[in-house]
Order: sequence, then structure tokens, then C-alpha cells
Amino acid sequence: MVIEVRNLLKRYGELVAVRGLSFEVKKGEIFGLLGPNGAGKTTTIRILMDILKPDEGEVKVLGRSPSEVKEKVGYLPEERGLYQGLGVLETLVYFAELKGVPRSVAKERANSLLEKVDLLDRAKGKVKELSKGMQQKLQFIASIIHDPEVVFLDEPFQGLDPVNVELIKGLITELREQGKTVVLSSHQMNLVEALCDRILLINKGEAVLYGPIREIKKRFTPNSILVKSPQLPPIVKGVQAVTRKDDAFLLTLAEGTSPQAVIKALVEEGVELEAFEVAPVPLEDIFVKVVKEGRHSALI
Amino acid sequence: MRLSKVWTIIQHEYVTNVRRPGFIIMTAIVPALALIGLLVGAYGGGLLKNMGQSLVNFFEGTSKRIGVVDGTGLFTPLLPEYEGNFTLFGGEEEARKALEDGKVDAVLVIPSDYIENGKVRVIAKGSSFEAVALEDSKWFKGFFVSHLLRGKVEPAVSRRAADPVTIQPEVLGEKGKVQGGGPWGILFTFIIPYFLAFMLVMTIFVSSGYLLQGIAEEKENRVMEIIVSSVSPLELLVGKVVGLGAVGLTQVLVWLLSLLGFTSGAVMLLTISAFSLPPSTLLLLVIYYVLGFAIYAFLMAGIGSLGTTMRESQQVAGILSMFAAAPYMLSGFLMANPNLTIARVLSFFPLTAPTMMLFRLPLAKVPWVDIAGSLAILSLSLLGAIWLGEKLFRVGILIYGKRPSWKEIWLILRSS
Repeated sequence: MVIEVRNLLKRYGELVAVRGLSFEVKKGEIFGLLGPNGAGKTTTIRILMDILKPDEGEVKVLGRSPSEVKEKVGYLPEERGLYQGLGVLETLVYFAELKGVPRSVAKERANSLLEKVDLLDRAKGKVKELSKGMQQKLQFIASIIHDPEVVFLDEPFQGLDPVNVELIKGLITELREQGKTVVLSSHQMNLVEALCDRILLINKGEAVLYGPIREIKKRFTPNSILVKSPQLPPIVKGVQAVTRKDDAFLLTLAEGTSPQAVIKALVEEGVELEAFEVAPVPLEDIFVKVVKEGRHSALI
Repeated sequence: MRLSKVWTIIQHEYVTNVRRPGFIIMTAIVPALALIGLLVGAYGGGLLKNMGQSLVNFFEGTSKRIGVVDGTGLFTPLLPEYEGNFTLFGGEEEARKALEDGKVDAVLVIPSDYIENGKVRVIAKGSSFEAVALEDSKWFKGFFVSHLLRGKVEPAVSRRAADPVTIQPEVLGEKGKVQGGGPWGILFTFIIPYFLAFMLVMTIFVSSGYLLQGIAEEKENRVMEIIVSSVSPLELLVGKVVGLGAVGLTQVLVWLLSLLGFTSGAVMLLTISAFSLPPSTLLLLVIYYVLGFAIYAFLMAGIGSLGTTMRESQQVAGILSMFAAAPYMLSGFLMANPNLTIARVLSFFPLTAPTMMLFRLPLAKVPWVDIAGSLAILSLSLLGAIWLGEKLFRVGILIYGKRPSWKEIWLILRSS
């Protein structure tokens, strides 16, 4: 395991920000750390980055205490920025040197990353001369300039246009392909869904949902199918209810009935089928539902 | 603490700050003003150069021409060495006329009963200030002594009686060795303590300004969190304190050297004065300077990181700076007696001890109890300042947007 967290507890005076949190992150996966505002995500990440100390519990990153592995970990905080008066290349070299990278290696790596995000021609310019989107890209590459084993990305897509979102998505996927571990915190559920292998949803400092995205979605998917057809018979075998949904019909299946059996029945009855699919549940709906209901799940 | 990280931060802080236009302008202002002053002086026909001497002459009265009406006969004829400034007149009327015509600057009337009561009259134009100033003039008194003793004692004794003493200050240092004598006596007594204490206070003021500005900017830029993900808050704090301390020291040194450089030979005098101190005292001065600066810098950085605006941080830092400058208020008394009770008490208080000891050490033999005690207190205080500064810094750098209440700070400190 790359990250191991056991019974983590963090208080700010009377307020308990993180309450008995336990989870693990495997090597080479993109792990989503999700939750509404004030859930304790940033506090958890700050503890994993050794910026804050836990009150109770055990935290290990790469098998060691977070303070011992700072040079192997990258961090893009939610509250982030750059020295506006400093040069672009100078900024990257300084951040790399702080991570223990020799100056010459840092320059080489900075140039290569700048090229990857189309900023090489700005290397000698000042940070303040860059647009907001360019600065976001610079911040992203600053978090991986030292070739870390683990990267924590807190809202990496904030303020980016769709083109740059795709670019950063590509870079995150590339990190996974290189065997790096990524912990991603974001409110953009479609992106989390597209990128993450597993997620941890926390609410009010506690874990409420934890496990592989596919299994979580499967678990929350209602037993229903979406059928596109001009006309449906009034009664279909194994179907409890039929409701109109835009230009399709949502069929709620009776317990023990499989979607395949219903499709077979429709075909046998001669129903003209234009399209059909198992009704999908977006991660966002699961997020809202779990947070609103305050549900706990031990799904692993 | 990883020194390589600290060194990276020191370099970054120093290089980026000395390149700032604000720093360059502020650093250049003092030498520029001094240069302008020098040029103006040179243009004014060496007026500045002679100003000091002119002032001395004015108060001493050596440039004055005085008409003398001798009612006793003791001053007639005038001794040759006084003929340049004094002119005898037969009567008061004649002397007054010469005064009105501007031939003399004042008239001295010595009545016939002068020997009995010592009273003379001085008639001057305008105010009576010049007449009063003459009474304290060594040169004017010498005129009377020389004439009264004429023919009664040896001429050399008469001259000595007219100008009896010129003090050459000397201080008995360690092992009975005389220090600070000769022409550097006055410099030794006054400039070294003033210079060192001034340097400390100025460095604290200037560096704290850069520290607060740097921390406020990094909080505003949101860079702080990225940096503390790479280095510990203590490493960042030490790097900032040393780096920005060096920036402040650079500025103060440029200011002082430029000012001294523009005054003829003052640098050389100061250097010679410094070397006239025993090495042990010099070493102590450096230790007090470093301890003093470090204590103030760590506290200021910690407190400064709690503020959300530059103004808030500066207000608190201003109060701290007042402690550093406090011994200046006692400087008059300290020159007379460096081991005053109040000075000794303030030498044991961490915030006043550095400046106070910088004042006292070059002036006299300071009791070893004071040195050992204040060094012990300062060393412990430095550890305390680093501990508290680091705690406040750790909390402060993550606070954005609103200023925390004292209760919140206390709760966070307790839990960190």
C-alpha cells in the first residue's frame, strides 16, 4: 500500500474536522477523495503532506511517516498560487530545489514539462505575464517537477477551460501509466468518474462511501432499464412500473428479473426497439444521495 | 532540520528581495541624499567643511574682535598673544563708537574695582547672547588669567593657568590594560555603542519590514502551502529569518557605509575604534547582536504570519521594535554610568537585553554576572522565540481571509 490511514482524528479546538477515518491507497491507482465543502478532505490531505499533525491515529505514506517522504510526494493545494514577480523557469527550479532536485536536473525537467503543456516559449517570461489558465498549468507541473511517487491534487481542474481540462486529464492518466499514485480531490464528479479507480467519500469528517467506483455504481444502480421505442405494450412480463423519461421509457424491474429477460420478452412481443441500456446512475447522484441521507457504507 | 533546504530558502529570499525595485530605490536613497548634501556643500564654497569649526568659534568667541576699556591698568599694555583679538581704547565713548562703526564686535569695560568684585561689563550689538556666551569661553577666561598673572609667575605657568587642562580619556580594561586612549578616546566612548545599538535596532526595523512583507505576500499569493509541503515550517522560518535578515543587514550597511564614506575619514576612525576594543568584548558584541536579531526576527515572523494584512502585522511588529529601541532613551545616563541599576535590570529582560548590552559593553567593565546572566536568559529566550514563532507560523500560514481571534489562536496552538 502506498497510503495507509488508520483511525485518523483531527480537532480544531471544539470542532472535530476528521473523525476516525481509515482508508488505503494502492500503488499506481487514481484515488478519489471526495466530500462536500468542510467535510475534512483538505485537512486529511494536509495531514498526509505533514502540514498538519494528527491528534490520534496512524498515517503512513510509502510505508513511512509523512515527514520522512516529503521529497517523494507532490502536492497541488486548493489554496495555491505563484510568485508573480518571479520568472517561469525560475519558479519551477526553486520548487524542485526545495524537493531536493539538483539545479541542473531541475532545469532540464522544467523545460521538458513546459514543453508538454505548451509553455516552453514562456520559460523566460515572468509568471505575472501568464494568463490564469497558463498559471494553472504551471502550478500543476510544479507539483510533479521532482518526479514524485505519490501526487495529491486538490481541485486540479478549478478555473480551467475544457481544452486545458483535457490536457490535465491526459497528464494525470500519464502519471498512472508511469506507475505513480494519484490522490485526486475534486467537485467535478464527471471527471472523478472518468479518472478514478477507487473513491473515498467523506462527510462531516467520517467515511461514508469507500471502494472501487464500478462496484459503488453497481450497488447504487436501481434495477431498471431505459428503452427507446415508439410504443410499449401496457403490460410487460417482469416489469413493475413504466415511466416516461424524455424520449425513452424507464422500466423498473420486479425483484429477481434480469434486464436480459425483459428485453427477450419485449422482442418476443414484437416491440420495435430503437435502443436500450441498463439505466446509469451518475456518481454525482450517488454523492448527493449519500451526503443528504448521511448514509454510511462499509463497501470495500 | 535539513540545512540544504534552509540554504535554498536563504538564497531565494535574498536574491529575489535585493532585486526588487523597492529595495534598490530604498537602498539608494540614503547614499543619494548624502551625495547631494556633499555636492551642495562643495558648491557653497566649502561652507559645510568649515561649518563645525565655525560653530565652535562662535561659541568660543575666538573669532571676535573685542574692544577693551581698562579701568585697572592691569591689562595695559595687552600681551602680544591677545593683540589680534583685543584692542585697547582710552575711554568708553571711543570704544562704543568703534562698536557702532563695526570695528569691534563687543566692548569689554573693566572697572577700577574689578579686583574687589570681579565684575566687568560687556557691551554688544543686538542680543545679550554673545555677552553671556563669552563668560563660558575658555579663551576669554584665559585673557584675564594671563594678564592678572603677568610678571608674577613664569610665562609657561601663566599659559598653563590660562588653559589648565585637556583631558585624554582612558579606560582600564581586562588585566589592567589601558584601552581607548589617545585621539580615538571620544570615538571609542561614544560611537561604538551608538553604532552597534543603532545597527541592531535598524536591522530589526528593516528586516522585520521585509519579513512581514514576504510572509504577507506569500499568504496573499497562496504560495505558502506549496512550500510547506516541501519543507517544514521551521526550515522555512529559519530560511526566511536568515535570508531576509541578510537583506536588511545589506541595506543598513549600505546606508551606514555611504554616510560614513561621505564624511572625511570616519570609516577609518570607526574601524580603528573597533580594533581598540579587546577581542573578547568584540566577540560578546557580535553574540549579543546575533541573539538579539534572532529573537526579534522569530517572534516577528510568527506574529506577522497571523495577520491578514500588512498593516495588522506591522502594528504588532511596531510594538516589539519599541522594546529594542527603549535603551536609547537611557543613553544619556548610560554614558555617565553604564552600570546603573535600571541598565542592569534591563540587561536581564530578553527584549531589551541585546541593545542594552551593546551599549554597556564598550563603555565600561560590565560585571560578569550581568554578562553570564543575560547570555543565559537570551539563549533560553531564543529557544522560546523559535518554539513560539514556529507554532504561530505553522498556524498563521494556513489562515486565509480572516484574522483569528486570540481564543482561536490559543485553541489551535494547544492542539498543534
